[in-house]
Amino acid sequence: MAGPAELPVSALLSAVAERVRAADADLATWPELQDEALDAVPILTARSRAPGSVLVLGASRRTVGDLEAEARQTGWRVATASTETHDPREMTSLGLDPTVDLVLIGISDPPGPDERAALDDLAALGGALLRRRSDLRIMTSEAIRSRRAWVDALGDAETASARAIDVPAGTGRRGERDALRRALDHLRQDPEDGRAGMRAVIGTLAELLDLRIELLEVGFDGGVRLQAEPGIAGALPAVRGVITAAGALVPPEPGDDTVDEVLAWTTGSLDRHRMGDRLRDLRRRPWVDGTGEGARLRMAAASAALTRLVAMTPELGAGSPPDLTVIAGGAFSGAPPNAMAMAVADTIRRTGSTQLAWDHASLLGPIGTIEDPGERRSLLADLVHDALVPIGSLVIVGGAGGPRPGGRRRAGRAARLTLTVADDTQRRDLAAGALTFVDLAPGTRAEAQLDFHDAIRFGRRTKRATVGVTGGLAGLVVDLRDVPLNLPERRDRRRSRLAEWAAQAWPRDDR
Amino acid sequence: MNRPTAPVGLDLVRARAVMLDSVEAWFTLQPGDRPVPSEGEPVVRGSALAERLREARTEVGGGPGSSEGQPGAWWSGTRARGRGANHAVEGELLFRSGGQWRIAAGEPSEPLEAPFDGVVSEVRPGAGIRVRTALRGLAGADALGGPSSGRLQFVATRDGRVRTSEIDVGGSGAILVAGSAIDAESITRARAVGVRGIIVAALGVKERREVVASERRARAGVHGLPPFAVLVLDGTISRPIATPIMAVLEAIEGRTVAIVSEPASLVFDDSGVELPTIVPDLVRVMAGPLAGVEGTWDRPAGPFRFAGGVIAEAGWVRFGSREPVAVPLGDLERFV
Repeated sequence: MAGPAELPVSALLSAVAERVRAADADLATWPELQDEALDAVPILTARSRAPGSVLVLGASRRTVGDLEAEARQTGWRVATASTETHDPREMTSLGLDPTVDLVLIGISDPPGPDERAALDDLAALGGALLRRRSDLRIMTSEAIRSRRAWVDALGDAETASARAIDVPAGTGRRGERDALRRALDHLRQDPEDGRAGMRAVIGTLAELLDLRIELLEVGFDGGVRLQAEPGIAGALPAVRGVITAAGALVPPEPGDDTVDEVLAWTTGSLDRHRMGDRLRDLRRRPWVDGTGEGARLRMAAASAALTRLVAMTPELGAGSPPDLTVIAGGAFSGAPPNAMAMAVADTIRRTGSTQLAWDHASLLGPIGTIEDPGERRSLLADLVHDALVPIGSLVIVGGAGGPRPGGRRRAGRAARLTLTVADDTQRRDLAAGALTFVDLAPGTRAEAQLDFHDAIRFGRRTKRATVGVTGGLAGLVVDLRDVPLNLPERRDRRRSRLAEWAAQAWPRDDR
Repeated sequence: MNRPTAPVGLDLVRARAVMLDSVEAWFTLQPGDRPVPSEGEPVVRGSALAERLREARTEVGGGPGSSEGQPGAWWSGTRARGRGANHAVEGELLFRSGGQWRIAAGEPSEPLEAPFDGVVSEVRPGAGIRVRTALRGLAGADALGGPSSGRLQFVATRDGRVRTSEIDVGGSGAILVAGSAIDAESITRARAVGVRGIIVAALGVKERREVVASERRARAGVHGLPPFAVLVLDGTISRPIATPIMAVLEAIEGRTVAIVSEPASLVFDDSGVELPTIVPDLVRVMAGPLAGVEGTWDRPAGPFRFAGGVIAEAGWVRFGSREPVAVPLGDLERFV
C-alpha cells in the first residue's frame, strides 16, 4: 500500500494489517498483527533526499558549460553564471540566494586566455560569498584559493575557509570525466537517501540473479538510469550510469522546454498554456490525478524524463540490451503494465530482447540504504520475487519499419512470429513498423522466433531471430518500429501515431 | 505511534493545514537594496523594511581599504573609472578585486514596506529580511509580487470568476477575493485602479507571467506603482475556493490583511473574531470529473479500478444524499 509521504506511517500500517487479517483467517490470529502490537513492527525508513542546488561560476561560458554538463549528471540542481554573461552584482545575487547550497568555481588548468582577466574577480567573489553566508560551501581549486583577492575577501573570517572544498584535480575538458561527478555526489551523501541507495541495490541484484540489469527510475525530485553487471571471479559488480536531478518527473519550475518535451509524448489536445498549468499542478501534488487523463499525462511526463535520462547516458545505449530492465519510481505507480512497457519501448531504443520488471512497492531504494552488503543481499534474496513484478519481455527489431530505398514504407506483413510455449506453438503475422502485444502469462517461459522477408537488425544483420522470452502482466511486446523512433514533425500527425500505439497500451481507451 | 481514530480510514487522506498560528515572513532583497531596521527591532505596518534600487548596476569604486571594508557593508564615495570618474556613488560593497571595490548601486525606488506589525528576526544584506509576527496566517499555495496589504473585500463567490468590468476604483486599496480563477486582463485592470492584491483559487501559467511582467514594469518605473500581490490558494487548474478557507475569509471581511510570499499566506489579526471550526470528515476532491466538489468521508474502499485501467487506493465519499462514490485517495484532501 502506498500513499503520499505526509501520511502517518501508523495509518498505512493499520490499513495493511486490517487487510491481512481480512484476507487470511490464520494470520488474523497472529498477535503481531493486532492493532496494539503494531508499534513493535520493525520499520525501515528511507526517503529520497531533495536535491541540493549548486551554482556554477566561471570566467567563460565555455568552462561553465563544461562544468554544468558534468554537474547535471548528479543529484544537484544546477544554475550557472559566468563573468562573460553576468555582472558582479548579478553573480553576487545568485550566490546569496538562500536556496543555493554550494558554489562551484571552475577554471581551466591552465587558465585560458579568455579567463585570465577575470580570475581575481572570481576569487574575490568566492571569498566574499563565503564570508557573507555561514551556511554556504564553495568548491574551487587551489589556483583560486591562493590568489590574494580570495585571501583579502575572507579577511579575518578564518572559519569560513573550512567551508572551501577542493575541486577534483584536472576537472574540465582535459580532466578525468567522472572526478567532479563523484565529488559532487559525495557531498550529497545521506545514508537514508533511497535514490542514492539505488546504486548499491542494483549491484546486489545483478550479483544475486547473475544477470545484466538496467534500472530506470523516475521520481519526484530525480531520476536514475543505471546498468549493473555481476562481478567476474569474485569481483564486485560493476555499476555505471547516473542518478540525476534532471531525471525528475517535472522540474520545480516547468518552463517552455519542459512543456514541449511532455507535449511531444501526449496524445491529447492540450495547448501549451494548458499543458504548463497541468505540469505545475503535477509538480505541486504529484499524487493527485493519477487516473483517467491524469494517468496519461503522468506517463507522458515520465517518457519525457526517460528521454532526458537517455540523452545523458549515451554510453549505456551501446551494446546489447540488459537481461532484465527494472522500472521504478513514483512516476509509474498505478500505471497499466502495457503503458509502462510502451514507455520503455518508446524511449530506450536498442535492438534486442530484455525482460521487464516493476519495483511496484518501491522496495529497491529502501533496501539500497542498508549499508552492510551481506545484510542487503540477504534481505533482497528474501524479497526479490515479491518486490519485482514481471511486466513481460520486450523485443525491439531495427530496420523492420523504416522506409524502403525508394522512400515508401513497406506494406503488409513484414515478419512472422512463432511463439513456442512448451509443446504449444502459435504463429502470428506482424506488420512493418508495428508495436504488438502478445499475451504471455507471468512466469511463462517461451521461445520467440521472428522470420523476416528482408534482413533486419537484431544485434546483427539477419533474417531470423530467436530469443527466449518470459511472460508478464503486459505479455510479450514485439516492437518493429524504427530504431531510433522516427516520429512525424507535425504535431497532429505525431499525436495520431502515438494515439495509434497508445490504444494497445491503455485499456478501455474510449478515444 | 497513534492509532487511527474515527472516522475509520480518514487519516489515509492527506491533511491540509488551513491556518498558520504565527508567521515568520521572508522578504527577498537584492544586492544594493538597503535594509532599514536591524535585527530585533519592532516594525509597524507601513514602515520601511528596505530601500530598494531601481535599475541596479555595478559600479567600480576605490572604497575603503582591504582591511576596513567588508562585503555587504554600505559605502559612499566616488566612482573610480569610466566617464563619470570622481562622481559620487553610494551602494553595497560586493567584493574587492584589483584594488577596486565592486559596488551594487542604482537609483532609489519605492521603499519595501512592512505589510504587518512584527519584529525583525533576521537581516541579510543583499538577500533578505525576516519578520516575525504573532498574527495568524491563512496558508496559500503561491504568492506572486508583493508584499502588499489592504482591506479584504469580496468581488466573487467561491466558485465565481471575475470579469474585467467588475473591477473598478471601488477596489482601490483593497485586497479582493476573486473566486475560482481570474484572467490576465482583469489582473492588469486591478493593478491600474489601485487594487492592492487578489486572492484566487487558481492562476494559470499565462496569468502568472502577466503578474510577474507587471511587477517588473512597476519596479522599473520612475514613479513606482503601489505594491500588488496575488495569493493563489490551490494551483493552476480552476476550481472553487474550499469552503473552510472561504469561511475564514468571510469571517475577516473588511479587516486589513496582508499577502506575503514566503510563506505564501494571508496574514491577519484575528482579535475579536471567532474563526469557524473545521468539520473533521469534510473532504474535497482535487482532480478528475468531480474536481472542487466537497463531500463527507464514508470509509476506505481499498484498491479500486478507475478509468484508463489504473488501480488506485480509494475511499467512499458521500456527496449530499446520494450513494457514496469511490474516489482515489490521492485525489482527496481534508482540512485541519
